[in-house]
Amino acid sequence: MSELKPEEETAADDSGEEKDWEAAKAFFDSLKTKVPRPPKPRNAVTIAVSSRTLFNMVAERKLYQDEGVEKYVAFQVEHENEPLKPGPAFPFVKALMNVNTRLRQLYPDSEELFDIVLMTNNHAQVGVRLINSINHYGLTIERFCMTGGKSPIGYLKAYMTNLYLSKDSEKVTEAIDEGIAAATMFMSEKESDLSDSQLRVAFDGDAVLFSDESEIIVKQHGLDSFFEHEQKFENKPLAQGPLKCFLEALGKLQRKFYAKNERIDCPIRTFLVTARSAASSGARVLKTLRSWGLEIDEALFLAGAPKGPLLQKIRPHIFFDDQMFHIEGAKELGTISAHVPYGIGQKYHKGKLIQQPEKKE
Amino acid sequence: MVSTVQNSDVKQKNEDQAVVVAVTFAAVFDAEAEDDRDVYRLGVALPLLQVLQRVNERLLEENPVEHQLFDIILITTETRQQQQSSSIITSTRHHGLEVGRFCFSSEDDFIESLAQNNVQLFLTTDGNEALRATQQGVPSALLDKNSASCPSDQLRVVLCQDATIQPDADSSGASKKSAQSFLTRLGQIRQKFGMFNSPLCFTIVTSCGGKDSCCSALKSLRSLGVSVDEAYCLGGAPRGPILSILRPHFLLSDGFSQLEG
Repeated sequence: MSELKPEEETAADDSGEEKDWEAAKAFFDSLKTKVPRPPKPRNAVTIAVSSRTLFNMVAERKLYQDEGVEKYVAFQVEHENEPLKPGPAFPFVKALMNVNTRLRQLYPDSEELFDIVLMTNNHAQVGVRLINSINHYGLTIERFCMTGGKSPIGYLKAYMTNLYLSKDSEKVTEAIDEGIAAATMFMSEKESDLSDSQLRVAFDGDAVLFSDESEIIVKQHGLDSFFEHEQKFENKPLAQGPLKCFLEALGKLQRKFYAKNERIDCPIRTFLVTARSAASSGARVLKTLRSWGLEIDEALFLAGAPKGPLLQKIRPHIFFDDQMFHIEGAKELGTISAHVPYGIGQKYHKGKLIQQPEKKE
Repeated sequence: MVSTVQNSDVKQKNEDQAVVVAVTFAAVFDAEAEDDRDVYRLGVALPLLQVLQRVNERLLEENPVEHQLFDIILITTETRQQQQSSSIITSTRHHGLEVGRFCFSSEDDFIESLAQNNVQLFLTTDGNEALRATQQGVPSALLDKNSASCPSDQLRVVLCQDATIQPDADSSGASKKSAQSFLTRLGQIRQKFGMFNSPLCFTIVTSCGGKDSCCSALKSLRSLGVSVDEAYCLGGAPRGPILSILRPHFLLSDGFSQLEG
């Protein structure tokens, strides 16, 4: 313990930060490694994944629940040189890495990339096995937080997280309440053949990209009222939902490919998969997206048909929806899905009234 | 001329097994604010003193005859303070601080008194004092006004690995050994509690190095008997935001490059 640094005060924070970044850049440049330097959080699209979404820890989780934390940690330490198997977010993370590779080829100095952070509640001793597993698969995850049981919400904010994926619905709800896009991941029951050259992300519309204002009308007044309402307010944009900003971040990266004439071969493709029908309630959705300056590559209006079979054809790396029965349907047919616990879709199963979460700036 | 005075209000700790922590006068008390009755007001070290006391209480709950407790001594590092010995003793008693002994030394001989009292950790608000102590082989850490707002229910020790700082060419084998010995003792104390609800928490923060340096730090600390609770690998991101969430009682910097081998 030879060098000691007094804490940087907020007044000197910026110049302190700049020095930290310069020092980090120098360090990484001096490493004789092909590992690229992680980008600054404010420039990057930061995706935080939990350990159970990145890796399959079902057996270990059961051990934790049956025999307690000490046995669980001891088991992990004993097996720390055995890599874990991939979890539900694994294909998504590989697809993000592929996009980064393509972005670096086109824009070698840019920091507008995906930055993948491991955000876990696990005790740091389990960290050794997690790091070994990350290395085993060659994943470019250079940042992580192992909070030893404490809530990750503060750290999500500190890293300016654009999307948080976890298996714990309580943490996900907490994140959404704090204005961070988040979803609870579910493994699909079947193997699926996913693209390794294009990141494919599918979104539900209401209560995911958009607020749940229209869904409230369906639930409380029925479908006919809903159609009337949507046609009447066709030109009034819907309010934004918890995942709108993530779609926006994807769009920003897509435009970087378009700028270099790579539209046909763009390694990011987005899908809207909604139960709305095109004729009676579709226009408002498309006009809302346009008013936000956002593009979505394919918009699929199902008019109430089940989403499972269509998603099977699309084969997204991840599908976001607010209603559990759509998630179940998707899972059964092999789609990796993520539940967004937002809006009236959740209230429908509970007795009490929940307050609307605040919109993220 | 150093003089050591026991605080008769406090039960003395076992000399061989206690972990001796020396805190300077300027950290314990707000030296500028002396009220009429010659009693100093408390300074930035208060939460730290409270939390060390809390750890001791929990240790005694686990084992009523525990000897590996924190033994806090208050040390003066300037002649002017050395001359205020009776006010210092009175103030300490007035506030009921769990200070076992007082060491009245000056700027010339406080290092000596650290050695004489077998101090394993020296806490000060003065960077120069900390540097001098470290160079003489006593692990040191800086306290500042952030320390004043730390929690008092859990001792949070943060080990900061900053790979860009070159290992100090002057650092002696003794300095490395004493750092290892201090961490080992803390590790032993930590082992007496379970994973959750522990009054002591070890965290490592890797600023610049990647996950592999964090991984090897976890392992080398493990070999010293220190089971780290939380780990943050920043990959070059600034430490400020993370540290303000962690709220460490003290930071031990750049300990790792010295720990190997």
